[in-house]
Amino acid sequence: MAAAADVRDMLDLPAEGQPRPHKKQKVVEKRPEGITRELYALLGERAPPIAINENKYKGRPKWMNKLRVRPWSMTPFTNNARSDGLVLNHWQRKHESARPPVPAPAPEGSEMEVDQPKEDGEDAPKPPEQEYAFAKYNIKPRLPKRYTDDEYARLLKSEDWSREETDYLVDLVTEYDIRWVVIADRYDYQPPMDTEPDANAIVSAKQFRTMEQMKARYYFIAATMLSLEHPPSEMSEAEFELHEKMLKFEPDRERDRKELAALQLNRTADEVREEAMLLEELKRITSNEQSFITERRELYSRLEVPISVGNTTMYQSSAGLSQLLQTLLQADKSKKRRSILGDGAIPSPAGQTPTHTGGLGRAETPVTQAANKKGSMASRETQQNVRTLTPAEEARYGVQHHERVTAGVNFRSDRAQRLTQAKSNVQTQKLASALSELEIPVRLFMPTERVCKDFEKLIQSVNLLLDARKVSEKVESEIRVLEAAKAERERKYREANGIPEPEPAHPQVKTEAEDGDASVLNPSAGGAQAQSTIGNSAQDHAHGAEGNHKRSASVLSGTSESNKRQRR
Amino acid sequence: MNPSNPPQAAEYGGDEVSAIVLDPGYATTRAGFAGEDAPKSLIPTYYGKYNADGQEKLIYGDDIFVTPRPGLSIHNPINKDGIVEDWDMAEKVWEHSFTSRLTGTKPGNPFQNGLNDIPSEELPTEMEVESEEKPLSDSPLLMTEPGWNPAKAREKTIEIAMEKWDTPAFYLARTGVLAAFASGKASALVVDIGASNVSITPIHDGMILKRGVQHSPFGGDYISSQINALFKSNSPQPITITPHYLISAKAAVEAGQAPQAKYKTFPADKAPDASYRALLEERTLGEFKECVVQVWPGPTRLSALGPTGVSNEDMARTSPGRPFEFPDGYNQVFGVERFRVVESLFDAKAAIPDPESSFAPPTPAQTIPELIKASLAGVDVDIRPHLLANVVVTGGSSLLYGFTDRLNHELMQMFPGPRVRVTAPGNTSERRFGSWIGGSILASLGTFHQMWISKKEYEEHGPNIVEKRCK
Repeated sequence: MAAAADVRDMLDLPAEGQPRPHKKQKVVEKRPEGITRELYALLGERAPPIAINENKYKGRPKWMNKLRVRPWSMTPFTNNARSDGLVLNHWQRKHESARPPVPAPAPEGSEMEVDQPKEDGEDAPKPPEQEYAFAKYNIKPRLPKRYTDDEYARLLKSEDWSREETDYLVDLVTEYDIRWVVIADRYDYQPPMDTEPDANAIVSAKQFRTMEQMKARYYFIAATMLSLEHPPSEMSEAEFELHEKMLKFEPDRERDRKELAALQLNRTADEVREEAMLLEELKRITSNEQSFITERRELYSRLEVPISVGNTTMYQSSAGLSQLLQTLLQADKSKKRRSILGDGAIPSPAGQTPTHTGGLGRAETPVTQAANKKGSMASRETQQNVRTLTPAEEARYGVQHHERVTAGVNFRSDRAQRLTQAKSNVQTQKLASALSELEIPVRLFMPTERVCKDFEKLIQSVNLLLDARKVSEKVESEIRVLEAAKAERERKYREANGIPEPEPAHPQVKTEAEDGDASVLNPSAGGAQAQSTIGNSAQDHAHGAEGNHKRSASVLSGTSESNKRQRR
Repeated sequence: MNPSNPPQAAEYGGDEVSAIVLDPGYATTRAGFAGEDAPKSLIPTYYGKYNADGQEKLIYGDDIFVTPRPGLSIHNPINKDGIVEDWDMAEKVWEHSFTSRLTGTKPGNPFQNGLNDIPSEELPTEMEVESEEKPLSDSPLLMTEPGWNPAKAREKTIEIAMEKWDTPAFYLARTGVLAAFASGKASALVVDIGASNVSITPIHDGMILKRGVQHSPFGGDYISSQINALFKSNSPQPITITPHYLISAKAAVEAGQAPQAKYKTFPADKAPDASYRALLEERTLGEFKECVVQVWPGPTRLSALGPTGVSNEDMARTSPGRPFEFPDGYNQVFGVERFRVVESLFDAKAAIPDPESSFAPPTPAQTIPELIKASLAGVDVDIRPHLLANVVVTGGSSLLYGFTDRLNHELMQMFPGPRVRVTAPGNTSERRFGSWIGGSILASLGTFHQMWISKKEYEEHGPNIVEKRCK
């Protein structure tokens, strides 16, 4: 430490340039239990490579020791699934149902002492009130009800099956819960021997019933009974299905199937080997086919040119062309990268036209594209199957023909909006004030085709008016300047000639000036009246209004003149 | 998991009612409480009979091996077919199997146990006459039977259980079904290689298919007779087995040398019966089977040519032999012979001829693969593949070294098409007590308790009820 500080000192280095690295933390291993401190110290710093681990019985956690021991008792129980009320005994928690599962912590000692004997006394006579948990598993399949004698005689008679044997079969089916394998195994019908001798002679040649015969007979009975219970029209879906299945049972076919199954089971080793070989071959072929398909797809995707949809107007401008070039270059790059990666999917060169190259062939791509761009497809379709519409129809379907369609989506209302924007701010404001005077909102509420057209016309006429006013103002001011110059000249002339100033000339000029002002303001007022009948007439109206106001203005100026005179 | 909580009934499904499972076999009788993993009581089914002081005395359990009492004869209540013949003795042997270890002795009459002796003058004048204690009055009993047990024997069994032992509930299950349950299968083809019988039992949904049940008497005892035949024709000299009780001292000898032992001799009136000697010889043969005998693992028969063109016998010869020392000190290394003694289980022609044997040589239809084939032919074709995929091997004699491998090969050759899968627990006790373990599982299931035949039902319907209920 000191050495480093000295060196720094000598070399005029700033003291302690950076904080010294921390001293390595010494890993202090915990001394395992069961080894004395002294013995552990002898092991030195390095722990031995063998883990000193004592396998110890963990026992129960400490908190559990505080719990009160919950007693178990041998309790008798009955099983609801039994009819004879057999009482068996099993171990059960005492009071399991009565007490909450976790007993509240209570003063232990006293309770322990009090509890035990009392509980014993109480429990013993208590009958098991709970239903046996396993009784619910005692289930039987639902079988159609048994036939009566009458029903048997009417519907179920069979030449092959005697009544007794049918009964035996149905009993067996019920007993073994329709497990046919077991039923066929246990089937051992003993024909009654005490019938008359000739009948006995016929039956005594005891016939062996196959499972198919049994099934056919039973299904016939069950289906008949089922349809007696509910006619097929009233059956539930499941019942009907079952009924159909049972009616359609074909014992012969089933027998053939079993024979085939037996043949399949008893194949010789050679046959099995041959089959395995064939399967192997098939597997090889299919796997080869897979690789063949992937190779071919790779080839296709290399050859693939994206099928363009939509119009090509966007590529007709130079900007559009350069964009296309850009995207093509990009696609080329990524294609190279993809093919290195071995990916089948290649992005389409034209960014906007998605080309589907997934797991499908080339022929399918247009379809998926159409699905992607449904709108354009629809418009194309209408163009393709050309059908001239009458003007009325056109109006009805809202079909329009545009000479020039700009790319992208644009709104009619936007166009109307754009009209209200003039080149200069002042002009725009004037337009806006004119519109507000007409009580037309700047943004149209209902920009339908017709409204927009009318709005366009209105704006046009407003613009025209504004222009007219501008011109008239200009002319007015020119007149005024010239008049002033003329008056000056006359005054000079008169001063020079000593002629007194003529009085009434001044107000005349003033009136005209006022008139001009009014005419600036008034057309808008006239416009307001013309709002309902917007059109060319609006201009006439405005002119008419102007005329009116001119007169009123001159009247007004007349009064002001008299006022002036009175003041004087 | 908190050990103080009982397991959820839904995930455990057990409900133990302290039932006793009794699995009587030809060689041993197994008994224990349901829910345990091995029978607590395992005794030989053989019993001993001798005369002492003019009285006939009987001994049961392992005691029969111990003392060569004069005139002691050994008997078995069960015949070679696995069916009980001597019902009185069968009842006593079975009763011994559970009273000796399981139920224990009931607390006797306190007047008679010696602790409460009262002076004779105070003896009460009238003594209560206690009704006879019956050994099983508070335990349901599950018993097993072979699949071919006749109805009469079944009725007799329930009669004993109900009337002699007073069990509150009884059930009779087939060994095959239980062995299938022990390996967790409801449908299986159980191959049970017992002492007296080899049986093939097809099981569907927990029920045996009677038409498929096949059995032959070529089990463990037959293998013993084959070993005896081998010993008689042994090459340096014929080997005779001298049981331990006849030998007082022996000296170590070289392999194949004549034994040097001092023999005990019994005078004719003190000597035990020949059956006693046969029993003890059988014990030695059992050891021999465990240590030496080996099943040729296949895939082809021992007599056939192997895949490399070398005959299997030659191949077997190259494998190192296994030594065995007999009780008299004679010892020998057994080479290819040890394969031959069991080959006849799979290949009838390979049986070692022995005219003195009580076993007729097996017919080709009695080998295990043929029995399996016949068994499958007896069941519906639809379940055959399923059965072949669930072949359960059980029984003590199936523990012969290499047995399951060979069985697997034989079945694969016989049925190359369907998938063959042989299930055999590796644990020795699970294989020996397969049907007992299945019974232990069954009788401790909550859902099983509805199937017991209760005493009330028995009294109502008579012993015939067992035919209706234990299907």
